Amino acid sequence: MDRVPAAERLLDLVIALSHTRHRMTKGEIRRQVNGYADAASTESFDRMFERDKDQLRALGIPIVTLTDSAHEDDVGYRIDTTEYTLPPVDFTPAEVGVLSLAAQVWQDSSFAAESRRGLTKLRAVSDLSDPGEHAGLALRVRGPDAAFAELLEAITDRIAVEFTYRTARTGTSAQRTVEPWRLVAKDRGWYLIGFDRDRQAQRSFRLSRITTKVRRIGERGAVQIPSRIEVPPVTTTEVVLALVPERASALRARAEPSEHHAAPSDRDVVRLTVTDIDRFAEQVAGYADSVLVLEPAELRSAVLARLRAATAWGEN
Amino acid sequence: MAENAGDRMVRMLALIAYLEKNRGVPVEQVAEHFGVSTGQVLQDVDTLWVSGTPGYLHGDLIDFAADDREHHILTLTDARGMDRPLRLGPHEALALLTALRSLQASPGLTDDAVLASTTEKLAGAAGQAAQAAEAVDVEAPSSSGADTATHLPTVRRAVKKGRQLALRYVSASDTTSERVVDPLQLLTDSHRWFLLAWCHRAAGLRQFRLDRMLDATMLEARIDDHPDVALPGSAQPELKSAPWHVRLVLAPRARWVAEQYPVATVTDLEEGRFAVELDVVDLAWLHNLVLGLGPDVLAVEPPDVAEGLRVRARSALEAYAQAGLVEDLPGPVL
Repeated sequence: MDRVPAAERLLDLVIALSHTRHRMTKGEIRRQVNGYADAASTESFDRMFERDKDQLRALGIPIVTLTDSAHEDDVGYRIDTTEYTLPPVDFTPAEVGVLSLAAQVWQDSSFAAESRRGLTKLRAVSDLSDPGEHAGLALRVRGPDAAFAELLEAITDRIAVEFTYRTARTGTSAQRTVEPWRLVAKDRGWYLIGFDRDRQAQRSFRLSRITTKVRRIGERGAVQIPSRIEVPPVTTTEVVLALVPERASALRARAEPSEHHAAPSDRDVVRLTVTDIDRFAEQVAGYADSVLVLEPAELRSAVLARLRAATAWGEN
Repeated sequence: MAENAGDRMVRMLALIAYLEKNRGVPVEQVAEHFGVSTGQVLQDVDTLWVSGTPGYLHGDLIDFAADDREHHILTLTDARGMDRPLRLGPHEALALLTALRSLQASPGLTDDAVLASTTEKLAGAAGQAAQAAEAVDVEAPSSSGADTATHLPTVRRAVKKGRQLALRYVSASDTTSERVVDPLQLLTDSHRWFLLAWCHRAAGLRQFRLDRMLDATMLEARIDDHPDVALPGSAQPELKSAPWHVRLVLAPRARWVAEQYPVATVTDLEEGRFAVELDVVDLAWLHNLVLGLGPDVLAVEPPDVAEGLRVRARSALEAYAQAGLVEDLPGPVL
């Protein structure tokens, strides 16, 4: 006999556990539910069933465990059909359109599969979508880094964590112990905001710079999350650039003409406000000699560091 | 990639709930609704047909009208009590809510009424599952938002109305040109907005960054039909007829490059370093990317591409030296 496909076995398990009057024991599941007779031994049945049970729970299916009062080691299972059901919700076609848009946002990471599966569940109770106002729009962003799920669970459980973190400026790695508070998506990255126990102060950590697994430290419930978290304000920096005439029009469009004592006389001086020096340095380095940074020195050294690195490429 | 068994099972359960409410629906419509092929819908229906309660005899099974099925119409005749829609799991709610918030944080969408009502209804329907999402925030991008927003309303209106746009545009090589385009899709990576459009001057599909538009004006003329144009669906440069094949060795923290751009291959090297191979259409685009990465780029191949970058970097460093702008900084002076 052909093996029963996993999707079919899972479906038959859901149907069986939804219909059982009281509960089904593992023995009953193995004998009665389509697909489990494939298991060659008790051990392989146990492995198969445990994996399926975990997977169904992860899919949002509420499997409850019931022990018989007379035989405590005789465990049975049932699906709580009240808990199972999606509360009534009525999305308009335009809203279904927006949900479809949302389900395509994540380029990678587990978020991509999870948002698509969430949309499938909502489509069960929705009419066809109508993109309406949002026709032709799309958002594509990177999903959160690997540490995200563990950190979110730690926040939910109010437990401290420990990880190795590489700082952006020096590139050095160090062990950090943090009371996690919130996760924030910002620009191209994901950040953890929390209380750094070593520095005794609030800090934010970019998830992509966490280089080890996140380990839990201490007891659940030990972390107090402040009701109001001051997110560090966005600092802006005024930069002064010297541009070759007629070049860098895209930068000129967001800048004001200006003057500066250190500017070469054959260049135009402009002034503009930026929020992220590193990000802006990436952009300026691409213009090479068309754009010189006059101020601030921090931006100039960020650009020079990039240009100097380039002089070594392809040399060996 | 083969579909995960769990995802397929969830869709089969969703099909029962949907078909219980919607009787006699053409297979094509169901496929469109769930975003899968008609073949996949039929395969799901055939699996549902042999599924049911233990015993698996005639009365135990989920049932469809066989005549309708012959005519590609789906009519559920026995749901076996499985027509309740399944609730959202915590991860699904989190992924969708965070995606909606990311959309809301995009410039030009912050006051969108449909986004707001969808988010509210979703949070309500998710119930308990939405709780984890409360510890997650999405912030609006801090840079390039303001200048992008200048042209976003015009470009959005043109996309929606199917009207042509006149652009004054600065390319990656820093040259300004005027073009008339047929706008097809607006795309953002949460940092920048891109317009995918048919360019009449180039007679091809081109990608335009909104922060490089100096002017955008909607014209009276309607856009042409472009039935042969396949939209790539991601904020990436196009690959067609790429004349350059470039290999970069990158430091671990430049990992995002492998995820953000359509790299042909990624090879992991020792100590977290890795190599990517890229097909490059526009060398100016590569120069901007690679010079911006700077010290995170450890090697560039082929040699002539590396040489081009070296020449550009040297001339820039010379310009800094001539202007007397390097002496006050640490690092080797030229």
